[in-house]
Amino acid sequence: MQFIKNLKEYGIFLSFIVTCVVLSIATPQFLSVANWTIIVTQVSINALLAFGVTFVIITGGIDLSVGSIVAVTGVVAASLAQNGDYPVSLAITGGLIVGLAFGLLNGFLVTQSKIAPFIVTLGTMTIGRGLALILSNGRPVSNLSKSFNFIGNGKVLGFPVPIIILIFVFIVSSIALKKTVFGRYVYAIGGNEQAAWASGINVTKIKLATYAICGALSGLAGILLTARISTGQPNSGMGFELDAIAAVVIGGTSTTGGRGTMIGTLIGVLLIGVINNGLDLMNVTSYYQQVIMGAIIIGAVLLDSWNQKSRN
Amino acid sequence: MKLLKPFFYLYLFLLTSCNSSQQEDGKLVIGVSMLSMQNEFIVNVADEMQKKANEMNVKLIIVDAERSALKQMEQVESFIAQGVDAIILNPCEVEASSPAVSRALAAKIPIINVNSETSVQPSAFVGSNDEESARIAMTYIVDKLKDGGNIVVIHGFMGQAAQIQRDKGAKEILKANPKIKLLAEQTGEWDRSKGMDLMQNWIQSYGGKIDAVFAHNDEMGLGAAKALENAGLKDNVLVVSIDAIQDALQAVKKGTLDATVFQNAKEQGAAAVVAAIKLAKGEKVKKQVLIPFQLVTTTNIDQF
Repeated sequence: MQFIKNLKEYGIFLSFIVTCVVLSIATPQFLSVANWTIIVTQVSINALLAFGVTFVIITGGIDLSVGSIVAVTGVVAASLAQNGDYPVSLAITGGLIVGLAFGLLNGFLVTQSKIAPFIVTLGTMTIGRGLALILSNGRPVSNLSKSFNFIGNGKVLGFPVPIIILIFVFIVSSIALKKTVFGRYVYAIGGNEQAAWASGINVTKIKLATYAICGALSGLAGILLTARISTGQPNSGMGFELDAIAAVVIGGTSTTGGRGTMIGTLIGVLLIGVINNGLDLMNVTSYYQQVIMGAIIIGAVLLDSWNQKSRN
Repeated sequence: MKLLKPFFYLYLFLLTSCNSSQQEDGKLVIGVSMLSMQNEFIVNVADEMQKKANEMNVKLIIVDAERSALKQMEQVESFIAQGVDAIILNPCEVEASSPAVSRALAAKIPIINVNSETSVQPSAFVGSNDEESARIAMTYIVDKLKDGGNIVVIHGFMGQAAQIQRDKGAKEILKANPKIKLLAEQTGEWDRSKGMDLMQNWIQSYGGKIDAVFAHNDEMGLGAAKALENAGLKDNVLVVSIDAIQDALQAVKKGTLDATVFQNAKEQGAAAVVAAIKLAKGEKVKKQVLIPFQLVTTTNIDQF
């Protein structure tokens, strides 16, 4: 059970299992393969954002702009995919470049100015939202080509494309964080930035890279969302940053940096998705849903912190 | 930091150069505060207002309240301070936007509510009755499901005037037709992807039992239709929603959406500006100008 041992987020894993058991007793449909396919497809967008934000939070930063980047890239990709005017590859590349550019802007401002990442990304969040509205004239961009919509709704070998993207990004991010020099530097900077700098790590470059990765993944999420609902919506992605940060924190990543894993984030994302799905299946009124969701988030993190203490 | 300095100065320069002064040339000035310019329907209403204003040679100052009743009140206060001739308000909330109306009336500036209401009576109201739109949509479903059936309802943002009224209208029709059973209802927060997620979850729990979907707006209706389509169930399930946005009209044409209810943005915008001009000139107008809704299906889609 090396897998479980590696899992610092042991407590969260437990919360996740308990939640699943409770939900499967409450509703018979919960454990079906079809239902799980839906859950994982639904969480794929939040997962991509959360993976990106994990890198940033481990370095001790924060990125509030991811939701707005989703909207801008969505509008740009949709404009390029409209009526099949351009090939799908161009729509995807265009979206990714916009996401990457936003990430680089965040990284540049965070590393070159002494402004707190919270403020920088709050600014770019607002800029992004405005740009999305300007580019789309405040209206959804629709009539997208079939091949573009395939990214959000198609299947390859029986697997929905969003799930394939999710698994691919998860594996690559996990390897980048755990097995590469880059990953070790990310942890080092989050643990103690001064010490990391003193030991010769190019802190500026690594930080810039984490924001760039986060931006590009947000771009990918924007493309996925746009393809899923077959339109580029300038008001999409609102509040997504909070869902992503919630998933990362539930997954055991320390908000002060230096600690966290991708598998933890993935479980955090799944926990939120499972709760949403389960409460819908049980037809719980939406007023109660919000209360239950909040309580479960706090409960999950509490369980994790007790677990941490008992091991120390 | 050094790198950033030139950008900072450039930024300051751009900010100051944006601030060009506005000139008065004797035209009537109407202040307009809109609920949210991120909503396609509201943007359409605002565009129609601008068109009508250009046509009638009056000046409009259109501002976006970004769904905040507080911001809306501040905007109305600044309109009063600028001494505009009339104000058009597209209220954010029934109660919280009411003080804005009272303030304008106290300053003796005529104020016209467009599209939704406040608890304080404005000088005039231009819009449509939201309950009526839900009644039209639900009646269509009832007519189609002659032998009865199961329905699910996707609500708008809970507690907003449109959600409350559309729910009220829908429940009225449901009550009168006991053969139609309400299986489940839940909010989709006016959002297409949320409507889609919700529908997917319902397909899991109710599967083939669902005969019809009523969504409080087109965005959520289109999301639900997409989920049904992906599950291969669209042919057996009716989907009806409200607003008749561009995407919805196309979906009706293609048959993915069965019906939508047309709320006339053009007439609402134009009528509001006409009422504002009349009131600013001291002429009388009707207290309530109601613009009727229309059901849009494949049979009459070409008129839209």
